[in-house]
Parts: sequence; structure tokens; C-alpha cells
Amino acid sequence: MNKNVYMTNLRDERQNAWEGILNYFRKRSMWMLYYCTGCGAVELPPTMTTRFDMERFGMGPMATPRQADLLLITGYLSVKTLKRVIRSYEQMQDPKYLVGFGSCPINGGIYWDTYPVINHLEMFLPVDMSIAGCMPRPQAILDSFEKLRDEIQEGKAVGYKRYEKHYDWYKANQDKVLNREEAILQPWEDPFADKPTLEALQAEDKIEKGKDK
Amino acid sequence: MKNFNEFIQKFNSFYQNKAGLTRKYKQQYQIVTGRDELLGILNWCKQNSFYHLANITCVDWIEDEEFELVYNLWSYEFKVGCLFKIRIPRAKPWAPTAFELWGQAQVYEQEIHEFFGVYFPGNPDLSSLFLHNWHDLPPLRKDFDPLEYSRQAYTVEGLGVKPEYEPEVEPEDNSEGRKS
Repeated sequence: MNKNVYMTNLRDERQNAWEGILNYFRKRSMWMLYYCTGCGAVELPPTMTTRFDMERFGMGPMATPRQADLLLITGYLSVKTLKRVIRSYEQMQDPKYLVGFGSCPINGGIYWDTYPVINHLEMFLPVDMSIAGCMPRPQAILDSFEKLRDEIQEGKAVGYKRYEKHYDWYKANQDKVLNREEAILQPWEDPFADKPTLEALQAEDKIEKGKDK
Repeated sequence: MKNFNEFIQKFNSFYQNKAGLTRKYKQQYQIVTGRDELLGILNWCKQNSFYHLANITCVDWIEDEEFELVYNLWSYEFKVGCLFKIRIPRAKPWAPTAFELWGQAQVYEQEIHEFFGVYFPGNPDLSSLFLHNWHDLPPLRKDFDPLEYSRQAYTVEGLGVKPEYEPEVEPEDNSEGRKS
């Protein structure tokens, strides 16, 4: 890895004293929107129900992005879903926090060498908290939520401010992946671009078979 | 037809020169044919209790320079599955569509067209189904390199991502050089 490239999860924003008071209340009522693209969603029902009981921290599920505070990316993200995630994230209102579940949003996980799955979510959206594991157990999820609450109180979880400040940078990265115009390895030249009919293809086939004889 | 043995007898009397029917496992048989006989035999089998098309898949035999299309059929009457296999040349791959026989064949063929580049004349819609904004080779061909693609398409070095802000670079320490 090039040493001059710094990953973007630098906590470079701080909050003022009044927001410190607001943060006290923010951390006590977090409504989650979970984007169940991958396998991580199976760990959420045990986290929410009686055994681990997420609701004692004031967290609960929310139906729409416009009313949610916390966006959970539960698993791998393909390019097609990345577009929808960005749209959901931009619909959410400040303050908003984004948690990446498992190793897939961190570095691609077991899908690191596949063609449709992005490798680093941090290049496209500001990630406040990443949970390692494949998949993380409910204990790890609750532990990370505890840490996220602490970071909100300390004013460190300010991904939404970073997103506003470096919006051009994030948008340029998103455009590089989503609005790609050229082939990367080898452009595909479709031999049937002009869409011949079945009869034309069969006739062509007979001519070629005759040549072989 | 009452049982599967009768089916085999009739099949062999009709298509002995054009197709080979062999047994693979206990309840799975395979029929290997050519591209020209495909639709006729599929139609005959559909009328003789193999009326469930479960799947169409494609295999890339890059060393033989051929694609293999596999049609999975199932008979509820005989409780027997049947694989239809045809080989088509890899250079200009095309096969007649089975859309007229089974409506669900349309999406299977659309998917094969997207991931292998096989053309199905007669299929009403061969547009892109899963991939977003794709310009490269169809990705499930064996000569497509997904690792190299992922490196160039999604990593920091491949995308040429620069840091959000320029960090302050400390001046290099040349004190050792001065001593010598």
C-alpha cells in the first residue's frame, strides 16, 4: 500500500460544548435502519430480542431512512447496492451514524477478489464504527454499540460532518465506481451487436460446415 | 407413457442417431445432442411428461473452445431428472431460444447472455440484469480475471484515491548523511 494514501476514517472533527449536551440525549435514543444486503442480518434478531435485548440501550428498529439515526451495513456491498446505500444515507437527517458489520465493508472479506463487490466502504461513505468478524456475534455487536455511545458522547463519531466537509472527495470516489464509462481490463466487443435472426445464423452455420468438408 | 423404460425405448427409436441418452445417477439421466436438434427434442420431451424446466446453465470449456449449455428438466410422473447438454463454439456462441416452450427460460437466457455472452436469437429481452454499468468481458468466462479486475476497480491504488486532505509532511532527516 502506498504510504501517502491515508484511509479516510480519521476523526478530524470535534464538537462544541452545546453539542456535548445534545450528544448526551442523542446517544440514549438511536433508531436503526439496517440495510440487509449480506449475511449479517441474521445476527440482529438475537441482538434485538429477549436474550441480549438491545432496547435497554434505547435502540430500536425504524422503517424509513428519514427517521433513522443509525445505518447498519450488514454484509458485503455490490456496486448495485452501493448506489442504494448512498441514497439511503443521504436521505437520513443529521446527526447520523454508519456502522459496518463484519469484514466485508472493511476490506471486502471473502469477496475481496470478486468482480461486483466493493472492497473498502470507507472510500465511499464515512464509517463511524466497524465491527470485525465474519459474522460478529451479538456480544460483539452490543460491545460496538457501547463504544459508539461513548464516541457519540465524546464527540468523536462525526462521520456526517466529515461527509459534508469532504463531499467532493466522496462524490468523486463514488462516481469512479458507479459512473464508469470505459472497460478496465479488456473491452467487450459483442459479436452479435447487430442482432441477426435465427435463420441468418443457421444459414451461416451451414456454410461454415460445408467449408470444413 | 406408463413408466420410464417405455420413454427410453421411444426416445431411442426416434432419436437414436441424433442424441445419446445415458444414465448418470440413480434418478438422473443425461441427453447429449447438437444445437440443430435441441428444440425438437426439448419439445418432444416436454410433451412426454418432462414439462418442468428447472434451470439453464452454461459451462465454459476453454480448452475445447466450447460452451456447454445444460437444461435441467424434471418429470413429476417418472420422478426422474434429465440433463440436456449441447456444445456450441466459443468464438461466436449462439443457441435457439427455449422461450417459446417455457416462459421462464427467458430470464435464464438473459442471465447467460450477460455472464457468458451467448446470444439467443428470438429472446425478447437480453438486456443487462445484474451487473451495473459493465463494459468488460462477460465476467464468468474463464479468460476473465476477477482478481485483477477487483484490484483495478475497487482498491485504493486501482482507483487512484488521494487523501481527503494533504497531511503535513515532516522534512526528511539528513543528519546521518552529514556526519559521514
